[in-house]
Amino acid sequence: MDLIQATAVHKRFGGITALNGADFVARSGEVHALLGENGAGKSTFIQILAGAIRADAGSILLKGKPFAPASPSQAQAAGVSAVFQELSLVPDLTVAQNIWFRREPLSALRTVRPKALRQDTQALLDRYHFPRLAADLEVRRLTLAERQVVEIAKALARSPAALILDEATSALAPRETEWLLTLSRDLAQAGMLVVFISHRLAEVRRVADRITVFRNGATVAVHDTREVTDDELIAEMLGRRLDRLYPERVATATQKLALKVRGLSAGHRLAGVDLDLAEGEVLGIAGLQGHGQRELFQSLFGVTRARGRVELWGKAVALRGPRQTLGGEFGLALVPEDRRNQGLLLSKSLRENLTLSVIPRFARFGIIDAAREKALVEEMVQFLRIRASSPEQLAGTLSGGNQQKVIFGKMLLTQSRILLLYDPTRGVDVGTKGEIFQLMRDLAAKGYAILFYSSDLLELVHVADRVAVMRNGRIAAILAGDRVTEHHILRAAMFESAAA
Amino acid sequence: MPFVARHRAILLAYLGMIGLLLLTSLFSPGFLALAHLRSMSVLAAFIGIVALGQTFVILGGGIDLSVPWVLNSSAVLLTLISNGQDGPLGWAMPLILACGGAIGAINGLGIALFGVPPIIMTLAVNVILQGGILVYTGGAPTAGAPPLIQYLAVGRIGEFPVVLIIWAVLAGAASLALSKTAFGRHLYAVGTSPTVAAYSGVPTAQTTVLAYVTCGLTAALAGMLLTGYSGQAYLGMGDPYLFTSIAAVAIGGASVLGGSGHYIGTIAGAFVLTILTGLLPALNLSNGALLIVYGVVILVTVSLASEAFPELGRALRRLAVRRPGRPRNMAEAIKTPAGNREDMP
Repeated sequence: MDLIQATAVHKRFGGITALNGADFVARSGEVHALLGENGAGKSTFIQILAGAIRADAGSILLKGKPFAPASPSQAQAAGVSAVFQELSLVPDLTVAQNIWFRREPLSALRTVRPKALRQDTQALLDRYHFPRLAADLEVRRLTLAERQVVEIAKALARSPAALILDEATSALAPRETEWLLTLSRDLAQAGMLVVFISHRLAEVRRVADRITVFRNGATVAVHDTREVTDDELIAEMLGRRLDRLYPERVATATQKLALKVRGLSAGHRLAGVDLDLAEGEVLGIAGLQGHGQRELFQSLFGVTRARGRVELWGKAVALRGPRQTLGGEFGLALVPEDRRNQGLLLSKSLRENLTLSVIPRFARFGIIDAAREKALVEEMVQFLRIRASSPEQLAGTLSGGNQQKVIFGKMLLTQSRILLLYDPTRGVDVGTKGEIFQLMRDLAAKGYAILFYSSDLLELVHVADRVAVMRNGRIAAILAGDRVTEHHILRAAMFESAAA
Repeated sequence: MPFVARHRAILLAYLGMIGLLLLTSLFSPGFLALAHLRSMSVLAAFIGIVALGQTFVILGGGIDLSVPWVLNSSAVLLTLISNGQDGPLGWAMPLILACGGAIGAINGLGIALFGVPPIIMTLAVNVILQGGILVYTGGAPTAGAPPLIQYLAVGRIGEFPVVLIIWAVLAGAASLALSKTAFGRHLYAVGTSPTVAAYSGVPTAQTTVLAYVTCGLTAALAGMLLTGYSGQAYLGMGDPYLFTSIAAVAIGGASVLGGSGHYIGTIAGAFVLTILTGLLPALNLSNGALLIVYGVVILVTVSLASEAFPELGRALRRLAVRRPGRPRNMAEAIKTPAGNREDMP
């Protein structure tokens, strides 16, 4: 029987139509993927299901009964739990307190029973084979991936009939992703409906029984996963054929070393990294979560203090912070991990964000030459094909893909020719992903040197010339040529023996 | 974004200012007379000058509570050095300004480099200065203000008060700095998100220090001008300017949390506060009651104007809208049809 049956759902936000007749039918016991570009209406739709917002028109049936939750708690009471991209945890509470937030086991005096709380949590974590998580740790001290896992636990603690996972794997490393895919299958087996939203087709293909595709706020297709190809899905999402997601890889690396790193160490996470990055090369960085990738990027960019020798274009330098590293063509520029908290001033305009790193350059006698700034901004908007109503649009109101393009533009304007890209396609729609990969290869061909970390191994396999795999804060293996495969990367990331 | 939406808060401040002006003229005829407007503008100038530096600091995500005694110290120093004579002013004024700037630099360095919270840092500096001045003067009154300073504060060029001209020049410079210089961009960035600013290569520490230095400079300048205005320096003369400088910024539409606002708004804020001070005595209240009303009115004004307290602002706006089904006054209550009053005895 159909658990969720949504017909002709409409939703407008002011002048923008987010949903324009979306249909969605899913039954208990299946993993049902919801695909679509950013802005296709997926998020709006699941927010309606989760009770965060209400539909303007259309009908939604849950177990055959009308379903219009006025709040997330109503939706949860009816059996629909959602895990959103924007995490909803309280940083100062522990993992256990967050999972059972406002549903804690209480004593007769209405005080929380800590022991029961811990036991319940442990039982939950054991039951679903959660990755190791300390129930007593404050959430503030967890990584983004760990928080995402806690968020999933919190949703499961309500034993929902339908579990909605919105881009849940985008923050996870390969091993946790693997766990979540297996878990999703197990939950469906046990009779739950799992609505799975992801931009990664490979994952969707592995986990989903059926796929619903949204475009421009309406449903364009429903498929059995086995009966549809990736190309067909991409064409349906885009409304056109994307020639290919990954650009052709032409070896453009020269003999000239752009970046040479020897013995780079920081804290206990980075324990002596040796690395060579050539002009014109895209060097992939891989590894399980927490093996020093983040610290490597932050040390090179100079936001984390580190010891070791670093040479840029043959000259030894001390990395003293973004102010020094960003400067000019011998510098380094970073696309940071956290777009919203490290990359963009969300309440400022696209223009101000683009030129923030280079604004002193536009000043003549101290006064900014507004015309020159505007011209350069427009040039960059065109070059990167940033979709915005005007350069004055607030960065926070752009779609994820366009926000990431603004960060790329900001980085390119610094004229630094060594680029550090930390998971640059996280939460970015498939069309923009293709553009970003093409841009990376184009820049490499122009002599830029690119260090590229991705939590999606396939991206590394298809875009990088070589892949350096990190383990325990060191480079465990450097893979090149035929050996750049998911299999080899995972082996090197997990086992000592693969280092050979 | 269209112009009106982008500058909504600032436009509101000016609308409020004009509305208040008209309202006040109803209570006290002659309020709009040129002479009265002029003397009011002079008072607004003192608030406006102190609030200039405060605007910079608040835009950058900080707050400067050391304003009162930077102001007071500079006033006392001026009278001590000059001893009522114009002669030493040539070097005394730059020296005092430099001292104000140096105090600002100490504030900024403590906050930007050593991570002391702005409230603690500037409050401590304020108390230290207060103590220093008390020790130095022994509480004794100092000599009067030199004539030149008095001229700057109360003199006129033609019909224009000199202090208004000083304020106008400073306002122009401040607006230029905020809108058209790299420093301005950096300041807004630091106030919006220090992390993003740092990741973008913005010199965050330098920007923060510069904002506090500006605040020290304007407080010191205001201290000297106020000495000229009242003819002497006295202990406690800076105290009212702590509240008013921050309130002017907030009424002017800036976020008290930093990152948005403009000095152009603060100017309106300074006028609003001055008009209020002029309006309240017309209510014939005792001094204490006057202060209470003043405090409440400012609280309400700020919460209406500022985006930092959206909840309070929303609640007040709801109250201001008449609720349907409830009589507004006695006359309406009586006119309500009997059918609606079944519960009445």
